[in-house]
Amino acid sequence: MSNTIEKTVLMDQEKLPVKQIKQDFKMVTFSLGGKDYGIDIMKVKEIAKFSQFTYVPNTPPFVRGVYNLRGEIISIIDLRIFFHLPVEKRKDGVENGLILRLEDYIIGVIVDSIDKVVGIDSEDIQPPHPIFGDINVKYISGVVEYNGTLYLILDVEKLFGKEQTVQKPHPLEALELSLAEKPSIGVTPKESVTVGHTEKDFIRETLKTFKSFHVTPVNEKWLDERFEQWRAERGKQGRDLQIKSVDEADEFLRTFYSSYTDAVWPDEFAESFLELIQELSGRVFSVWNPGCGKGYETYSVTALFLNKFPDAVLKVWAMDNDLLSISTAPNLLLQLENLPTYLLPYTVKGKQGIGITSQLKDRIFFEYHDILHVNVVPECDLILARDLVSFLSPADQAKVLEEFYDKLKPNGILILGNNEEPIEMAKWVRISNKNFSAYRKNIE
Amino acid sequence: MRVEYINPFVESAYNVLKEVLNCQVSRGELYLKSTSTPVLGVAALVGLAGDVEGRILFDMSKDTAIKVASVMNGEELKELDDLAKATITELANMITAQAVTKLHDLGFKFDLTPPAIFTGDNMEVTTAEVEALIVPMVIPYGKVEINVAIRERL
Repeated sequence: MSNTIEKTVLMDQEKLPVKQIKQDFKMVTFSLGGKDYGIDIMKVKEIAKFSQFTYVPNTPPFVRGVYNLRGEIISIIDLRIFFHLPVEKRKDGVENGLILRLEDYIIGVIVDSIDKVVGIDSEDIQPPHPIFGDINVKYISGVVEYNGTLYLILDVEKLFGKEQTVQKPHPLEALELSLAEKPSIGVTPKESVTVGHTEKDFIRETLKTFKSFHVTPVNEKWLDERFEQWRAERGKQGRDLQIKSVDEADEFLRTFYSSYTDAVWPDEFAESFLELIQELSGRVFSVWNPGCGKGYETYSVTALFLNKFPDAVLKVWAMDNDLLSISTAPNLLLQLENLPTYLLPYTVKGKQGIGITSQLKDRIFFEYHDILHVNVVPECDLILARDLVSFLSPADQAKVLEEFYDKLKPNGILILGNNEEPIEMAKWVRISNKNFSAYRKNIE
Repeated sequence: MRVEYINPFVESAYNVLKEVLNCQVSRGELYLKSTSTPVLGVAALVGLAGDVEGRILFDMSKDTAIKVASVMNGEELKELDDLAKATITELANMITAQAVTKLHDLGFKFDLTPPAIFTGDNMEVTTAEVEALIVPMVIPYGKVEINVAIRERL
């Protein structure tokens, strides 16, 4: 056993120098807005300092002008303005730049500073990850690490090449441009659709990365609406469409969340819940509330059930995989000044706040549990899982919805988040009302 | 895992380890694990039956077990002999007993089995249909994982 380990270590060491020798890709590295980038050296004609360019009116802001390169007139693009990065003003007016040789023409780009030329093994280049932030991922051909620094390799052909003309470089601008030109005939409107699609895909990706929110048929309708809304909002504010931080992802998801998931339900909200459970009957009721958080929702539901069916045997399984939230649930104290009337009979005033009586608490099992593990609950009359499914991976979403179906009694009710719906609608009968997105198990 | 069950185990593990080993004890993040769990090397198992059923597993590496047994006996033990095994059994007993007393006070009624010790390499334990709560306790001699898989009878 130990022999083999030593052997593999040795082999690794032997391999290492060989790896460093292989350098089949050279790139010029430079910085833009504090980050490091590289461009394939085959595309770089020369490194230059630009001092006096001639301003050309009526061009996009990133075109700094034209420049006389030993008799040849080339246009100069400021990559920082192009990518909406901060631009440091230089006192002497001399800018660092690269002259790029593209398939069809020569172009100059301005960057913050030129670093060096590095040689790397092209096998070390990894595909770009969608959250590289400042620069749209489609302009990045790969990422590579060299001496502890990560370099994003820009794809200059995509940036300035034939397909993407300089007139329409940034997707957002391209989008606005094509939107403005909508009535015109030809290719433009069609392009705007595809651009919108990549933007949406990008948002899907970032929501997944930042909030582990997975867009699937469960919440696709909401995403479509929200995307249009978002585009309008951001356009008005003059901001980029892309989501670049957790905060922005939260902002995007703001309209997704259902009401009162983390608060006691007010009376009028409770009314519409009672409408839903109108048709339930029997003497023994089981309720499953995965993702119950601190338990506000659970207590509300349990109290409403008890009021409606005073003689029934009621058991509620409330679960969450957040240890901190679920730990506070059994001894939850309410600070509400005006408690809803349906909950009043089950509250008792304590020193620190308003507590819940054991009459209500004894019906509820609060469990620290991960819904993806084995769920041991009996057949349920009601499953309340608002804003939970969307935060699971697509495969798990299908699995959990399937499990909800299996665990419900005939005519049992499933309540999902306001902006969620089951994947296989044929198995469900929609009984939603204004406050709840609810579905009855379809047994045919 | 019902929330009410968690604290008694965390508290008693902390108290007992601190008392018998007379050393710094810190608790790692609690987490849930489903079905099969690898065992570090020495495992003491206590079964529960009654209103609440399941099992509790005290899991540590052989090295840690020998060191812990040495400290508890006040003499240097070289290997995991009968004395060392008996000592680990006793440790498991003490922690479980204290936790169970707390649960009894909360109104749960059940019986315990005497601890059994398992040793060996590459073992894993599977409890069908119950997810396990892992309470990692870090002591100067290594890590003791308390693996609690219990639930109320449906």
